[in-house]
Amino acid sequence: MQTPVTSSAFRGSVPANAGIGLRAQHHADVLAERPAVGWFEAHSENYFADGGAHLDFLERIRAQYPLSLHGVGLSLGSADPLDREHLRRLARLARRVEPALVSEHLSWSSVGGSFANDLLPLPYTEEALHHVTAKIAQVQDLLGRRILIENVSSYLAFSCSRIPEWDFLAAVASESGCGILLDINNLYVSARNHDFDAHHYLEAMPRAAVAELHLAGHTPVVHGGRELLIDTHSAPVCADVWRLYGAALARFGAVPTLIEWDADLPPLATLVAEADKANALREALYADAA
Amino acid sequence: MPTLLELQVEFLHAISGAPRASAAEGAVPSEFLLREILAAGLAPAQRLAIYANSAEANYLASLRASFPAILRLGGEEYFRQCGRELRRARPSHSGDLQDIGAAFPPYLATRHADDTYRYFGEVARLEWLYQEALTAADHDSLDLAALAAVPPARYESLRFRLHPSVRLFASEFPAHAIWVANVASDAEPEPLDLRQGADQLLLHRTAAGVEFQQLSAGEWAFLTCLAEEHSHDDSHIDGDSGSFGAALAAATAADSGFDAVAVLRQFVHRNVIVTFTLPTRRPTEAQDAGIAQGGNNERDL
Repeated sequence: MQTPVTSSAFRGSVPANAGIGLRAQHHADVLAERPAVGWFEAHSENYFADGGAHLDFLERIRAQYPLSLHGVGLSLGSADPLDREHLRRLARLARRVEPALVSEHLSWSSVGGSFANDLLPLPYTEEALHHVTAKIAQVQDLLGRRILIENVSSYLAFSCSRIPEWDFLAAVASESGCGILLDINNLYVSARNHDFDAHHYLEAMPRAAVAELHLAGHTPVVHGGRELLIDTHSAPVCADVWRLYGAALARFGAVPTLIEWDADLPPLATLVAEADKANALREALYADAA
Repeated sequence: MPTLLELQVEFLHAISGAPRASAAEGAVPSEFLLREILAAGLAPAQRLAIYANSAEANYLASLRASFPAILRLGGEEYFRQCGRELRRARPSHSGDLQDIGAAFPPYLATRHADDTYRYFGEVARLEWLYQEALTAADHDSLDLAALAAVPPARYESLRFRLHPSVRLFASEFPAHAIWVANVASDAEPEPLDLRQGADQLLLHRTAAGVEFQQLSAGEWAFLTCLAEEHSHDDSHIDGDSGSFGAALAAATAADSGFDAVAVLRQFVHRNVIVTFTLPTRRPTEAQDAGIAQGGNNERDL
């Protein structure tokens, strides 16, 4: 029978020192090597099990590091009512590991109870804004905490969209009181795919709401003669994204930063090296932040 | 302007790979949806295809992770075909990708009901039980002092509960041997005789991982009886199904030499049996009669 893993020092905050995504393939290495990263972020759904080795690893890692739970399956943007069963499982996990941060996506992955297992694009309409804001408010009320909402990469836009994505995200944050997890790579990918100015997007983000930044890699592909960037999260962060990250740091301050790498996993040391690069950029701007 | 619901229903249908129910509804994706997507240098259908491919890839990746033996047995092309068909026929109903595997064993059983690959469904069924055992809740071991305090006259009424990770698997095929041959090593598996014997397996998770044990006829009868669904209110006796008395009778019928005490002791020691309850109602007259006759029941556990 497990005893709750608590560490009051970690419960409320995540340090400015960059974190890395926690993947099952690295569980043993993390415990053996104790990499000098600030924190870990785990995909919530990967730990919805009732028990077993993965959950044990997560609890042991949690005893050593602050933890963030990042969900992909709550489908907040769905026209369906809030998925109470999914939220119950998330709440149970949160009670177990006491994460410093809990986040989800400005996206949908289901409707009518059928799921697509992908992060699907929202039309940016008043109806969608009110619906997703209400669901986020409901989640925060039921979880008893603020959650962060992440911008996703997109490959299409709807003709019925009336609100630019950046204004939509800012409005979601201001109306629901949620925080923003700004994924700099997703922002860059969407800006290139839809020909908008990434810096303008940064300017539109309310400073106080941005509570976490993601950095990841992407892959260019050609579809029908047009180059698109695909958010593969399977490559190092590219130079353009590092530059955009620098601009984000300048605007938002030393916001906790996470290196995301979800596929074609490299050794743990590679992720740690990416985290070190993020720290170096932060320290160059904010020498006193620790 | 379309509603959010209208747009999402059309979108999900378009990327799920499912054909339309009737020709009158048109091809997938619908004209309605295609009109709602801005082209901007790339056809809406191609933009939708990016999401369709990604959703399918995520679905297949989850199946591959849960069914490595089937992947090995059937090969990549076969597996992808099965995965696509399953995804079209049974879209996921959960935001947890790990839940989709439950439909795969019945799908394979149907697909190969009449051909020489019937064992695929059985191997997949075992693989899914293995996943369930891996992720089941943990449980403290049985309170031996409390069990020792139970009066012998009440033994037959005891209802033992199995560790949450326990799964019982029976098959006409040697599914476990096939699974081991295809998962445990990268070497080319030796050919297996499908008639080499049926499985009667206990799956159980310990700190070392999920263990597999072939059970004797008596052990199988004993554990399957104990594992029978209980009513939530243990004070209500629904016949004596699932009770120690019933399990003992079933095991003895399967094997007249069944040594209940030794088996019980072993399963308690290994944390396969993790707790017990005792109904608060009086035993039935039939049980009273059984207790009066049986000598085994008064053994000190």
